[in-house]
Amino acid sequence: MKELAGRLTALDPDAGAAVRVIAYFDRLAEHRAGLEALVRGVAVLAGCPARLSDAGRRVHLRVETDGRRRDTEQPPDPAWPAAALSPDGAPALWLERAGAPSVVDAVILERAAAAIRLVLDRTRGRAPSALADDPALVETLLDAAAPAQVRLHAARCLGLDTAAPAHAVAPLGGPPRVLAASALRGPVSAEGRPPAREDSARAKPAAGTGSTGPVLPSGRVGVGPAVPVLELPDSWAAARTALRFTADGTPHAPGPRVVYADELGGIGLLAELVVPGADPPPDVQALEAAVADAPWMLTTLHAVASTASLRGAAAEVNVHHSTLQDRLGHAEALLGWPVRTPQGRLRLQLALTMRQLGRS
Amino acid sequence: MTLTPPPFDPELAAVLEMLKDAVPPQLTMDEIEATRNGPGLAMLADMDLTMGGAFEVEDRVVPGPENAPDISLLICRPVAPPTDGPLPVIYHVHGGGMVIGNNRVGADAALRWAEELGAVVVSVEYRLAPEHPYPAPIDDVYAGLLWTAGHAGEIGADPERIVIAGASAGGGLTAALALLLRDRKGPRPLGQLLMCPMLDDRNDTPSTHQMAGLGVWDRTANDTGWTALLGERRGGPDVSPYAAPARAEDLSGLPPAFLDVGSAETFRDEVVAYATGLWQAGGAAELHVWPGGFHGFDGFAPQAALSQACQAAQMNWLRRLLAE
Repeated sequence: MKELAGRLTALDPDAGAAVRVIAYFDRLAEHRAGLEALVRGVAVLAGCPARLSDAGRRVHLRVETDGRRRDTEQPPDPAWPAAALSPDGAPALWLERAGAPSVVDAVILERAAAAIRLVLDRTRGRAPSALADDPALVETLLDAAAPAQVRLHAARCLGLDTAAPAHAVAPLGGPPRVLAASALRGPVSAEGRPPAREDSARAKPAAGTGSTGPVLPSGRVGVGPAVPVLELPDSWAAARTALRFTADGTPHAPGPRVVYADELGGIGLLAELVVPGADPPPDVQALEAAVADAPWMLTTLHAVASTASLRGAAAEVNVHHSTLQDRLGHAEALLGWPVRTPQGRLRLQLALTMRQLGRS
Repeated sequence: MTLTPPPFDPELAAVLEMLKDAVPPQLTMDEIEATRNGPGLAMLADMDLTMGGAFEVEDRVVPGPENAPDISLLICRPVAPPTDGPLPVIYHVHGGGMVIGNNRVGADAALRWAEELGAVVVSVEYRLAPEHPYPAPIDDVYAGLLWTAGHAGEIGADPERIVIAGASAGGGLTAALALLLRDRKGPRPLGQLLMCPMLDDRNDTPSTHQMAGLGVWDRTANDTGWTALLGERRGGPDVSPYAAPARAEDLSGLPPAFLDVGSAETFRDEVVAYATGLWQAGGAAELHVWPGGFHGFDGFAPQAALSQACQAAQMNWLRRLLAE
């Protein structure tokens, strides 16, 4: 009985064919077939190569009419018939064929896209809710090697105004993010606080504006300067540098959780000089020895380095002014330099910063 | 014994959904004529047997069995063979349940092998049941093989390197041909390639019951095919192994065999049993049971992942068999 019915490729472009296409993909879905089987069905039924490309979930596969998988690096032709996996989504499933799709082609694309969406939701989780979270688009936007046109397209897909500046954002241990400058308040705060100082108010949209714009990710975050979108790869490099200046903001790791690259000024140059894991410079070694001497040492020195006055520092660590003076006398003896003079305070700030850089 | 059938492979289940009107699981005696004249066979007439000019194609009429009509052999020879010497032969026996088909059915698979291997394809036309019951079909198949071996020089072929091959009823006839050649001391084939072969007229294995009404070529269709071939003798005590190779008591001394079958088809158990018999008789055999495969899946859905694996296994065995 083999082969008596002819090939599946011999579908006629009539209503009967459409009904059989629907039955085909329904049955594949019912039997929980995988993505390759679904894309193969598209290629075989449409009689031309088919490809699936979902940037958000990093799915790329292409199947030819003989059923064999042959992936490609080439981008799809915008003129090909295509379907999105969600009502507002970008095209993700293509027939590699010029011209308008036939009725049967349209049924194939529609049914296959629906089945593919189910498989992706089942096996790879739901698609990112907002395009702003799409890691592949962000990656493209931050890739200096990608063609300008491609990066601009990615920016538009991310909902960015390509004429407005944006920040690259580097969260610790998370995917890169890109935020429109308008979504983030300017880097210099009204209070004129020290540059690297964490300001939690800035990590949220300004109160009272009614904005629901994106917020900075929680945890340690380096923020690159606001730049035109095509310069975002540079902002990204700066954001990663800024990330090295961040700390957990805990007693054991005091310091700002959010650092803006363009607030670092000349301090930023230290990042190139201090290699994580290398032998620390003598001042950092002295600092480590002091930190090891008393549990209050690190928070106390950090308070002195990061507040405007010793009185402010005392309040920060919750001790009496005289207690602070006693502690600093002890610290200066261990460090070998004064921390209550402008020069000594700068030296302490540098030592604390180099210590942090040496750890990240 | 549970009657729960093994599940079809997901892709193949979808193909079956599309095939079900054109290829129903059942076939009854009074549907044979309509199926013979159906669109599936008409399509075969358009098949490009030259494989885009790679083969020269000839239909040659040669003597049939004694006191029987001549038979027709489809002979396809490579236009640009890899060597000047004689070429191996794929001697192909088509399928169709003993009642349907012609020597074009399945020839494309044989031609794909031949293209890769640099071989000659000879596909035999045999008389069909029920008009021509046993032994007419196997006698024609046997006569065609004798002619091919005896006239190998005329078609640029090497009579020492004939691989006999067939699918479904063609697989059963191929297995029977190997038995006949052994017993009549005829030319010894290099190997026998038995694709989902139809071997057992008793039609009573667990898989025949499990798959009733399902897939392609179910128990009813199988009964039709065997009854057409054997009449009232089907399933009885005196059926020849040359009609139904599963009846053979002696499976020793046969050429190396390749057998494949789907787990979800009528023939599963008889094919596994035949391979086991070959091993127990000290023979060389390679058996593939493709999970979730229905009867003839690699021909009906050649693009499916399981079909690709199945075709690759066939090709791989042929390459090893013909390696010098």
